[in-house]
Amino acid sequence: MTTRTSMPDQVGRSTVASAGASGKVRKLVTRAAPLLSLALPFLVTNQYQLHVLTLIGIYWILVAGLNLVVGYAGQLSVGHVGLLAIGAYTLVILNGRLGVDPLLAMAIAGAIGGLCGLVLGLPSLRLPGFYFAMVTLAFSLIVTELLVAQNRWTGGGAGMSAPLFGRPFETPQGFYFLVAGVGLVVTWLAWNISRGMRGRALIALRDSEVAATAVGIPVFRLKLVVFSFSGVTAGIAGALFASLQSYITPEAFLFELGMFFFICIIIGGRGNIIGPFLGTALLTMLPEIAAPLAKMGNLLYGLLLLAVVLTVPKGFGSLISNYVERRRGRRSAPPLVPDVKRLAAAIHQPETLT
Amino acid sequence: MLNTLVTGLATGALYAIVAMVFNIMFSTSKVLSLTTGHTAMLGGVFGAWMITGLGLTWWLALPMTLLAGAVFGWLTETIAIRRVLASGDDHLWVLSTLALGTIVQHLMALWWGTEPKPFPRLITQDFSAGPWDQKYWLPMALAAAVATGLALFYKRTMLGRVFTAVSEDPFAARARGIAVERVRALSFAMAGALGALAGFAAGQLTYAFFALGMWLTLSGFIALAAGGLGSNLGALVGGVLLGLLSAFGTYFFGAEYQQTVSVGILLLVLLVKPAGLFGKSVVRSV
Repeated sequence: MTTRTSMPDQVGRSTVASAGASGKVRKLVTRAAPLLSLALPFLVTNQYQLHVLTLIGIYWILVAGLNLVVGYAGQLSVGHVGLLAIGAYTLVILNGRLGVDPLLAMAIAGAIGGLCGLVLGLPSLRLPGFYFAMVTLAFSLIVTELLVAQNRWTGGGAGMSAPLFGRPFETPQGFYFLVAGVGLVVTWLAWNISRGMRGRALIALRDSEVAATAVGIPVFRLKLVVFSFSGVTAGIAGALFASLQSYITPEAFLFELGMFFFICIIIGGRGNIIGPFLGTALLTMLPEIAAPLAKMGNLLYGLLLLAVVLTVPKGFGSLISNYVERRRGRRSAPPLVPDVKRLAAAIHQPETLT
Repeated sequence: MLNTLVTGLATGALYAIVAMVFNIMFSTSKVLSLTTGHTAMLGGVFGAWMITGLGLTWWLALPMTLLAGAVFGWLTETIAIRRVLASGDDHLWVLSTLALGTIVQHLMALWWGTEPKPFPRLITQDFSAGPWDQKYWLPMALAAAVATGLALFYKRTMLGRVFTAVSEDPFAARARGIAVERVRALSFAMAGALGALAGFAAGQLTYAFFALGMWLTLSGFIALAAGGLGSNLGALVGGVLLGLLSAFGTYFFGAEYQQTVSVGILLLVLLVKPAGLFGKSVVRSV
């Protein structure tokens, strides 16, 4: 293990003597976190805790995709709960009315979620920030309304019962592993997108759309791709969510839930992945730990969002990454020593040239 | 049919006033506050509470409601706008006003309850008046009065001209000795009072309901987007159009599609003419 992980460090970063240490830590974290997430069901003591963990996993599947839209591309989508609802009802309708296997239905839910994201994104992603936020808000409101209105298919306000997944995912533990597996894949995908050229392009367009266009980033297409990807993850998360809740009504997909996802990302911090994950985990657990707070959950989220926006607008994740950057910077970057002779030569040269 | 028309005009008038409240705040700060609809919600809730709960007469409850609205508007500016604008981060105000709106909405839910409660009659009138009931013509009359009042205010009064100056160019206004921050806070207080007035006048139509804020924010914004950002005439036309279309949409397709109709209008407008009917098309800044 040690030799395998330290090899690329020596090759790639031989000039920076101590960066290998933090690289090792990062590698350790990226290897340990999946293992830990898979070991968690054996560490919890009761079914309820497992339920909460599964819920965190499902929310994270959605938030991981949404994070690319909100955190990286800077598009303020508050309406992803609509896509979640579409995924959930896709599973329930396909399985309940047409008898499709839940796993296949989940895949279809992802595809439909992505398609809805594409259709919603086509007109709305051209709009400036606030207009886009209002369109997504409006989208989540119509989805809830149509779910009530189309009661021939969705059961209206009374709702529908959702199926369990087939073997081996029918037990709570098995289902958790399914969620964790999907979650890890989605995280891996998001991680790859965010670290590569696309991630850089997304951050560029978040910080200045004009500048991003000027350097040749296909702004609209990129936004659309990322938004559709977030639609896919939201659809899959919706299917899993329905199965976990075992009974869904339009009441389960209120605007507040959409805002909850949004807040997870803002609190966690824009432009990184670990922050929103911690945000999702903490905010999901918060009402569960402190029972009296459950009634005031939304009030609490509002207060938390306001506090974060006013005090650490970049989110708590930025505090962590700032700290890491500062430590690494202090260790690695050697102070620049100006080469006085060459500088002097360079200063004097133009006079002789002209 | 006449009932549908009158309902559409009345709700449209309410949307139009909310859109104008958006405009007042936007002109001095370039911020579209998500708490705009909540000012109207507060007006309805406070009005109902003071008249029904405290037993005040309406001419005593009205100024106190306006005061509450103004305080809320001023607080919005102090808490959610001032620091955020100073930090210079684009669109951070969306988050701060969203957070403040959520806080106010859920505080109201805890204090007032989650059930819509009826708003008391303001003027003694028989319930048999049908389309001529006060719940319809109060918001309509108010919308007309507010639109004229704002036009006069911006054209004729010193303060109105100061608002316009800040709206046109805050730096130049500051150079001429205008305290831009104070003008901004004042405009938010004025917007809050006006929103509360709208909620008060339309209370009998909407009921005093805690969750009204978000819906009014969205509807007011749709009216604004349709009419054109920054134009009060556009707000009036957009609001009335939205009210009529959603009322007749409800009449023809059923009440369960009410939101779908108005959101459909929003999407259509933004697709076809993003600047709105009366809006100036914004030149993109490079």
